[in-house]
Amino acid sequence: MFSRTALVRGAQLATRRQASCKLAQRRGYAAAASSAPATFNYETSDVAGVKIASRDSHGPTTKLAIVAKAGTRYEPAPGLTVGLEEFAYKNTTRRSALRIVRESELLGGRLNAYHTREALVLEASFFREDLPYFTELLAEVISQTKYTTYEYHEEVERVMHVKQPKHDNDPSVLALDAAHAVAFHTGLGAPSYPTATTVLKGYTDENSIAAYAESVYAKSNIALVADGASSATLSKWTEQFFKSVPASSAGSLSLNAKSSNYYGGEQRLAHTAGNSLVIAFPGSSFGTFKPEVTVLAALLGGQSNVKWSPGFTLLAKAAASSPGATASATNLAYSDAGLLTIQVSGGATAVRGAAQEAVKALKSIAEGSVSKEDLTKAIAKAKFDALSSSESGVSTILSAGSGLVHTGKPFQIAETTKSLDGVTAEKLKTAAKSLLDGKASVAAVGDLFALPYAEELGLKV
Amino acid sequence: MSVYPSLAPFILKRPWLTKMFKPLATWYTSAAGYRQLGLRADDLIVEENEDVLKALKRLPPQMAYDRVYRLRRAQQCSLMQKLLPKDQWTKPEEDTPYLEPLIAQIKAEAKEKAALDALTIVKNH
Repeated sequence: MFSRTALVRGAQLATRRQASCKLAQRRGYAAAASSAPATFNYETSDVAGVKIASRDSHGPTTKLAIVAKAGTRYEPAPGLTVGLEEFAYKNTTRRSALRIVRESELLGGRLNAYHTREALVLEASFFREDLPYFTELLAEVISQTKYTTYEYHEEVERVMHVKQPKHDNDPSVLALDAAHAVAFHTGLGAPSYPTATTVLKGYTDENSIAAYAESVYAKSNIALVADGASSATLSKWTEQFFKSVPASSAGSLSLNAKSSNYYGGEQRLAHTAGNSLVIAFPGSSFGTFKPEVTVLAALLGGQSNVKWSPGFTLLAKAAASSPGATASATNLAYSDAGLLTIQVSGGATAVRGAAQEAVKALKSIAEGSVSKEDLTKAIAKAKFDALSSSESGVSTILSAGSGLVHTGKPFQIAETTKSLDGVTAEKLKTAAKSLLDGKASVAAVGDLFALPYAEELGLKV
Repeated sequence: MSVYPSLAPFILKRPWLTKMFKPLATWYTSAAGYRQLGLRADDLIVEENEDVLKALKRLPPQMAYDRVYRLRRAQQCSLMQKLLPKDQWTKPEEDTPYLEPLIAQIKAEAKEKAALDALTIVKNH
């Protein structure tokens, strides 16, 4: 039999656990979902001319990134952004590329460089205590890289040639690029990665990349963002190591800083690898946040949040009627323009059917046939997406950094979610109507015999 | 780092020794005969070597072209059993190393790679 003390102890433990459980739960609910806790927001400051933002969740690891205003929309000639991205962590005047890699491997760090249409990001993830080393490394990379001819020919060019087919054989990427091209022409319309047929000769070589780097990597053009470091330590090390970075752009190649203009139109490309159709409208941007467009994107949705069910979103229902097609809607926000895209991929006839259904769904929203319940679901989904993406890290470093370089303050997710509550059925209706009345941007890639023209879908281009 | 083992650095460090060896060196390079064929000292470096091949690829286009021109001209001279006219001989001030720095750079890279990558297993038995 059990001894009496053992039983008593077990009961005590059980009650204590329950109580603590309740306490934790209560605390969890007490923080309202929409008002974010303080650790969520970035603290910003200006250290010796460098805009820095940091957020400390007191975890064991840190992510430090330089976000530069040097995405494909700013490149003055094709291929420069990609070239600069590939030249990250190559030989500097102080150490070789191999040494940089081996040293960060020894510290358990990870180095990464990527670009979007607006930003070029050099990112390092590492243990919290290695912050000084990686701050120094990033400063060195942006100010002391050598941009040698042989590295360009032996490494950068080769990597670019290897990466190109990955984009060239993906119809959905090509369709999205084509939609951007007809929507914005230059700037944001530049392809996110040069294709195999893009002319780079005469535009991109080690000298032009070095000149571009000089104008990109200036204190006025970059932001240093840290996730998992306190503001005080970050500014201390930034002050020490970022002295060698020039204060303003000095390169002979200036950035293409033209503001975006929406044009609209249609583009069709034959491709054998698959089918993709993108229908795009002017959307919500970082500069002018339009909550109704964000909710509209959530309402159109497409990706199911529940297993084994298409979900409530209108595009999921549209895609369900033509098997083999997937449809999704996203609002791609940039600093001064946005693009609300509906992307349909799959078999050619299925894409045709789903695209027609998708446009019908958009028209039904414009007629005001959205149920109140669906609207509530869409607002909740839009809010959840915004907040959960800000927790996972990647998009926040990017959005905080690009907010900082473009507007001087990070794009705080928590603030925008509040305005989503104000979206009514009436606002949604007028937003959808104005989109349909305006010019759309339609890009079709794949089997052009089956893919519909914009005019067939009932869109103006 | 020189391509071939050489006493030159040792001698160049000591001015008095340099002064002593200078006439001998001048006599030797002209006796070697490559300047009379319009070649430079770096044209004589043996090409059948991974490092040298890589260095040749890193030469700027104009330098690579000039190098091939010098080699073909020298070959033609050798074939015809003749020397170049005296005004076309390589002048001592033209005879500068253009390939050796690149080879030294490649060797340094390889050395660094070996130092950073070499995890050698030493068997105890």
